[in-house]
Amino acid sequence: MSRVLMKGNEAMALAAIKGGCDAFFGYPITPQNEIPEYLSEHMAKEDRVFVQAESEVAAINMVYGAGGAGARVLTSSSSPGIALKQEGISYLAGSEVPCVIINVMRGGPGLGGIQPSQADYNQITRGGGNGDYHLLSYAPENLQEAVDLIKQSFDKADAYRNPVMIAVDGLLGQMMEPVDLERTPDSKQRERKEWATDGDAGRRGKANTIVSLHLDPNKLEEHNLALKEKYDRMVENEQRYERLETEDAELVFIAYGSTARIARSAVESLREEGYKVGMIRPITLWPFPENAFKKLPDTVHTLLTLEMSLGQMHQDVKIVNQGRYHLDLYARTGGVVPEPEEFIEKAKAILKKEDAA
Amino acid sequence: MKRIVMLCGHSGSGKSEIAINLAIDAGVDKLVDLDIVNPYFRSRSVHALLEEEGIALIEGTPEQSLNSDLPTISAAARTPFVSPSMRAVYDLGGGPSGARLMRQYTDVIDKHHVECLLVVNTMRPGLDTPEAILQLISRLEGAGGIKVDGLINNTNLMEETTEETLAEGERILRTVSDTLDLPIRYTFHLSKVPITRAFAGEVRALERYLAPEWL
Repeated sequence: MSRVLMKGNEAMALAAIKGGCDAFFGYPITPQNEIPEYLSEHMAKEDRVFVQAESEVAAINMVYGAGGAGARVLTSSSSPGIALKQEGISYLAGSEVPCVIINVMRGGPGLGGIQPSQADYNQITRGGGNGDYHLLSYAPENLQEAVDLIKQSFDKADAYRNPVMIAVDGLLGQMMEPVDLERTPDSKQRERKEWATDGDAGRRGKANTIVSLHLDPNKLEEHNLALKEKYDRMVENEQRYERLETEDAELVFIAYGSTARIARSAVESLREEGYKVGMIRPITLWPFPENAFKKLPDTVHTLLTLEMSLGQMHQDVKIVNQGRYHLDLYARTGGVVPEPEEFIEKAKAILKKEDAA
Repeated sequence: MKRIVMLCGHSGSGKSEIAINLAIDAGVDKLVDLDIVNPYFRSRSVHALLEEEGIALIEGTPEQSLNSDLPTISAAARTPFVSPSMRAVYDLGGGPSGARLMRQYTDVIDKHHVECLLVVNTMRPGLDTPEAILQLISRLEGAGGIKVDGLINNTNLMEETTEETLAEGERILRTVSDTLDLPIRYTFHLSKVPITRAFAGEVRALERYLAPEWL
């Protein structure tokens, strides 16, 4: 297949099939419904499993079961649906069962609205469920990147035995764009999962068990420390980001997903007018790409976080950069998608103030 | 263009953008948005622009709830079919589920005044062969109780479209056209893609109204 025109949700669903997804369990919610709709037709054609569960809670527990049996499993939902799944996600992480979760974010809190939002940042990066755990989380900016990351995410989930979350907002789910499904290779040959409860105890000579319950606090602490060692490896190896025009920048935008798309357009316009503006675009939300902030040029005086949530990612920008730069935030939320002009105006105001100082 | 044009097709074929373009170009009285499938990028989201153009929008969103995704349609959607001088463009939702809504109007659709056009973009996956399009037509007609009267070539890869893209779409559509004896009524191209050769039907430059420029 060469380039085709696809809707975000369809492209992500197809990418999951190409990433080797064996089974999907989900429950409908706007604005991600085209994912289960697409998979309901195409998983059957590929002789794979598709189940529309009776609820989000049921779906994530089916993911837990099928993932535990060694299958490559996908679920998808949108913000309040992801909130419902958090208990199961915590169990998956605690039991080290891999899976991929696509979250097509909409406004909140509560039922919120159906328009695009990034207000799940805390829910994604701070662990929406209980316990010391993290999700490897990717936030693509366009459909090609979403396809490439999703194809790869099943390998990552298996490699770390950890849930991976793909975080996009409703706009990326609903928009159309040309994509090439073959730009990156399909998922590599899979290794047998020797830890899985796949009914093959006879061959192994022992029965595998999958639990998140460890009643001895010392054992549980030991388990948590082993998980932490894994998360430390992710921090070390999995940070992904893009730096755009930062070489001589005075002001650097920090933005991801659709907001980065809008910010990219603002950077272009500002550069045309001679303003020295650049952008750091986190591609992983967790681990937060701290490395992107290392070795920024001395010309940088201000970091401006742009997000469709009220400063959730800005907290991470502060943790990494406290005391080093002026830190500012421009945020829209509730489903309001900012226009490039809003970023341009904010950037000019900051640069003008800095010039005067 | 007949008094009433209904646009049907696969999801993401460009029905809404073409509906807005046709409605504005022809200066019709009503644009009827029957899309209960998509939550975003629906023709109802440009209601202010349509109002400026003097085109009344008929859609089913409850008052003050533009962003609800309730599958409701307005009773007024029937009006153009039974109003002899009213000109309208109908924008259906994608696929057979979108076409199914037309079942309720089959008793008032008078083919002398109503034409149903299929919008096709052969760059959508699974729609790149005449066989796939013929099958789509059969499914839409079956679901909606309507008959497709003509084709619209809207083959594109958005900004990456070239004349060659359109020509490839036309090649596929010609087979469909010959098989079912359906005319290609329009060829749409993005206004940014210049056209230097002849294409089937009326060739129209498409203005994009639904997506922001940065997208």
